[in-house]
Amino acid sequence: MAEKKKASTKKTEAKKQEVKHEAPVKQEAPVKMEAKTQAPAKVPVTTGPKVKPRIGVFICHCGTNIAGSIDIKAVEAYAKTLPYVVHADNYQYICSTPGQKKITDAIKEQKLTGTVVAACSPRLHEPTFRTATKEGGLNPFRFEMANIREQNAWVHMHDKEAATEKAKDAVRIAVAKASLLQDLTPKTVSVEKAAMVVGAGIAGMQAALDLAAAGIKTYLIEKSPSIGGRMSQLDKTFPTLDCSQCILTPKMVDVGRSPNIELMTYCDVESVEGFIGNFDVTIRKKARGVLSMPEAEAKGIVGGGCNGCGDCEPVCPVIKPNPFEMGMKPRKAIYIYHPQVVPLLYTIDWDSCVKCGLCVTACGEKKAIDLEQKDEFVKVKVGTAILATGFDLFPIEKKTEWGYKTYENVVTSLEFERLICASGPTSGHLIRPSDGETPKRVAFVLCAGSRDNAGIGKPYCSRFCCMYSLKHAHQIYEKIPGVASYLFYMDIRSFGKMYEEFYYRIQDEGAKFIRGRVANILEDPATKNLHVYADDTLLNRPVDMEVDLVVLAAAVQPGWDTDRTRKLFGVSCSSDGWLLEAHPKLNPCGTTTAGVFIAGVCQGPKDIPDTVSSAEGAASAASIPIHKGEVELEPYFAMCIEEKCAGCGMCVNLCPYSALALVEKDGRKVMEVTEAKCKGCGTCGGFCPGGAIWMNHFATPQIVAQIDAFFLGGER
Amino acid sequence: MVRKKGYPEALEKKLHDQRYYREDSNPEFLPKVKAISRTIAHMCFQCGTCTGSCPSAPRSTYRIRHFMRRAVLGLENEALTDPDLWLCTTCYSCTDRCPRDIAPTDVIMAMRNLAFKRDIIPVNFLKTVQAIYSSGHGVPNNDVNRAARERLGLTRDPPTTHMYPEYVKGIQKILDHYKLKANADRIVKEREG
Ligand SMILES: Cc1cc2nc3c(=O)[nH]c(=O)nc-3n(C[C@H](O)[C@H](O)[C@H](O)COP(=O)(O)OP(=O)(O)OC[C@H]3O[C@@H](n4cnc5c(N)ncnc54)[C@H](O)[C@@H]3O)c2cc1C
Ligand code: SF4
Ligand code: SF4
Ligand code: SF4
Ligand code: SF4
Repeated sequence: MAEKKKASTKKTEAKKQEVKHEAPVKQEAPVKMEAKTQAPAKVPVTTGPKVKPRIGVFICHCGTNIAGSIDIKAVEAYAKTLPYVVHADNYQYICSTPGQKKITDAIKEQKLTGTVVAACSPRLHEPTFRTATKEGGLNPFRFEMANIREQNAWVHMHDKEAATEKAKDAVRIAVAKASLLQDLTPKTVSVEKAAMVVGAGIAGMQAALDLAAAGIKTYLIEKSPSIGGRMSQLDKTFPTLDCSQCILTPKMVDVGRSPNIELMTYCDVESVEGFIGNFDVTIRKKARGVLSMPEAEAKGIVGGGCNGCGDCEPVCPVIKPNPFEMGMKPRKAIYIYHPQVVPLLYTIDWDSCVKCGLCVTACGEKKAIDLEQKDEFVKVKVGTAILATGFDLFPIEKKTEWGYKTYENVVTSLEFERLICASGPTSGHLIRPSDGETPKRVAFVLCAGSRDNAGIGKPYCSRFCCMYSLKHAHQIYEKIPGVASYLFYMDIRSFGKMYEEFYYRIQDEGAKFIRGRVANILEDPATKNLHVYADDTLLNRPVDMEVDLVVLAAAVQPGWDTDRTRKLFGVSCSSDGWLLEAHPKLNPCGTTTAGVFIAGVCQGPKDIPDTVSSAEGAASAASIPIHKGEVELEPYFAMCIEEKCAGCGMCVNLCPYSALALVEKDGRKVMEVTEAKCKGCGTCGGFCPGGAIWMNHFATPQIVAQIDAFFLGGER
Repeated sequence: MVRKKGYPEALEKKLHDQRYYREDSNPEFLPKVKAISRTIAHMCFQCGTCTGSCPSAPRSTYRIRHFMRRAVLGLENEALTDPDLWLCTTCYSCTDRCPRDIAPTDVIMAMRNLAFKRDIIPVNFLKTVQAIYSSGHGVPNNDVNRAARERLGLTRDPPTTHMYPEYVKGIQKILDHYKLKANADRIVKEREG
């Protein structure tokens, strides 16, 4: 493009900057777009009368964070030598109220056309200073930030001189861009008055209940046949020891009953299109083989459909392990996980069904069973979505030294929950799997696979295993008189409200704590007893503890289908696989994809109280755009300079967000941008051979000016 | 229970199995210690505040926390046969500071009681018993002290059995009731001939 050629000629002078400043396009007046009928961006027009830029530069000390490694006065003096800079100032904390007032005052007094703040990362305070710029009377997009903290002061604290020079460079580059910035107006799109929650553990259920209570239609998508998640597998819950089912079942029933919740169990998210306010989600309704009553009615089977009577189950000849009971109890090929399932609907496991048809006969007039059912696809539109996909246990047999799946009497914590639970496979009688005897000595191995950097385990703390192991010790003292428990631990992390008190209580009940990570476990082949080897680091002596049963407090990891699901919603994950929040402290429920939120353990290990809090946080955040009814989009979208566009259409396929299309205009083909879809990534703008794409706020002349300022200087 | 390897004696001693096994622990030990000390010894969470407070610890191998651990684990033999058991000065600093509100000093006293029942006790403690039996004082008065008391304007002897020797008999009666003197004499004789 013409400007580019000129710009790259020689040393920058004020005159040439004048030319560059004449950006060839100007953004249109604010348009409110309906999601479906977005008005395409109009042909860009050139700016009106030129105004000579007047830039103000504000340099922040950030206490000593910046001032400790950078000579603020020198940078300020240097800023005053830069073209168009008519005002330069510094302050202890520019983000503070008096600091921001310096910006608003200077805009008015000095008639500034642009502002530059040299301070921290724009991720932190760009919104703050944009607001200050706006309050001074300028368009907020007339602001540019120079990061002299994270990218300078914090990494060059041992070289003040060079750091100061680097800060001058950063300010010069920012001023070059600020001189060319244009007024931009964010667009708004309307928001669909519905939300989606993926995963119906306690996190997803709570989020859905909150959204529904706020009057929002909520689709709750659960991949398994029943809602409830892991919590429905637990016997009691620390630290209050209330029975898990007793506090969960009423919530499950509420979810099933709420008129605002459309519960979709045995369903997967198949695809997601669109953006905040307007996500088009395709749901795969996996063939359950059993019709619910409304489904039967829709098929004209009057008074039919599954009523949960269970007549089918006894006649089914196929027996399989029930995964809800960790495989320790049988189920049939047509099954429910447990009697409290919501919805109370049978499901057929096609992998084991032999299609004998006995169940169909047993079901009789209800005609609920359809052995030929196929998966169906349903499309729904929602404004926001919450992922609450929970966790699985880490496959602890991978740590071979502890012998899980090799020694019969080594079990996982989830197996323990089922064995101690009155509705579990042994009706709550804890037994040794090898001989059905009641164990008299039980070892609990904490941090099994957690806090492990050796590659096979997980580097993080799984956060609830200390507490549930204490709970497990309590449960055996309660049920088995004379039992001894040994908790092998590295630290007891009892951080929550009433947790330390719980730890005290369990120790008082007789639990023995041995500080030392279990090195290995060996089985006595004759007795099937286990020898637990560790170091009692407090006694400074190695231990050989012979016990009847070992419970591994196995690490947790994201649910197996989480990775596929998160990609559909454009959500990132951290290196350990947990879903990535927008900010670990200040935005733990949000993600970097606008309109998509995360709740519960899928973001990282959490006990039930923290899970429920995060779910309520996510529900509240997800309801805001819906209640507002519209959202603002960053005005960073691409625009087509139609007179330059050759209609080659090469950009159309490059756009990762399918935001571009070729359209007929005045008898020729030109590219058109769907602004709400454009994320401003710049792929098309960087590519267009004709230079026909103008990237708002990151336009070619602006970037060229920055590069020139860096390489060619630009001091007066 | 220590596993023997059947090496020659010297080697066996050098390579002896240092592990502790479940059978090493006497489940009766902790309840006994708790009953005698009347403190919640089982609640020790090994923070080490006691050893940190102990004036004996920096001058010796005595670790009060270590004895607390042995109490919790029921390692009776180890605790009672460790000569460090007798290094507590009974200053009660640990008891003042223990965050779990345990009285470690009393745990030590309980263990000393149990050790004495097995004749495990250093001779100097027994000589103290003999001194009390004969004078009513563990550390009887002497001429240096008497001179010092005079200089301070006190009586040469304190108003105890020193001043009223007729009461020594009463003390002897108490010690005899518990057979303390007889046992002390017997053990001293066995050790010193
Ligand atoms: C042995 C053990 C004992 C515990 N004891 C306690 C205790 O006593 N007290 C306490 O506070 N906490 C306890 N916890 C922690 C507790 O289980 C969790 O805090 C809680 O279950 C987290 O709920 P969640 O909804 O985030 O995840 P989950 O319970 O895992 O629920 C996730 C749900 O999402 C569904 N799902 C997953 N992926 C998809 C997908 N792609 N699409 C659709 N649906 C999907 C799953 O099927 C599941 O129903 C214990 C944990 C364990 C392992
Ligand atoms: S919660 Fe406790 S047992 Fe679990 S990983 Fe963390 S420290 Fe280990
Ligand atoms: S401390 Fe023990 S386990 Fe660790 S390296 Fe040394 S010998 Fe091996
Ligand atoms: S101070 Fe108390 S709790 Fe801490 S180690 Fe000593 S006895 Fe145990
Ligand atoms: S009472 Fe004994 S154990 Fe406790 S601090 Fe004093 S000397 Fe040490």
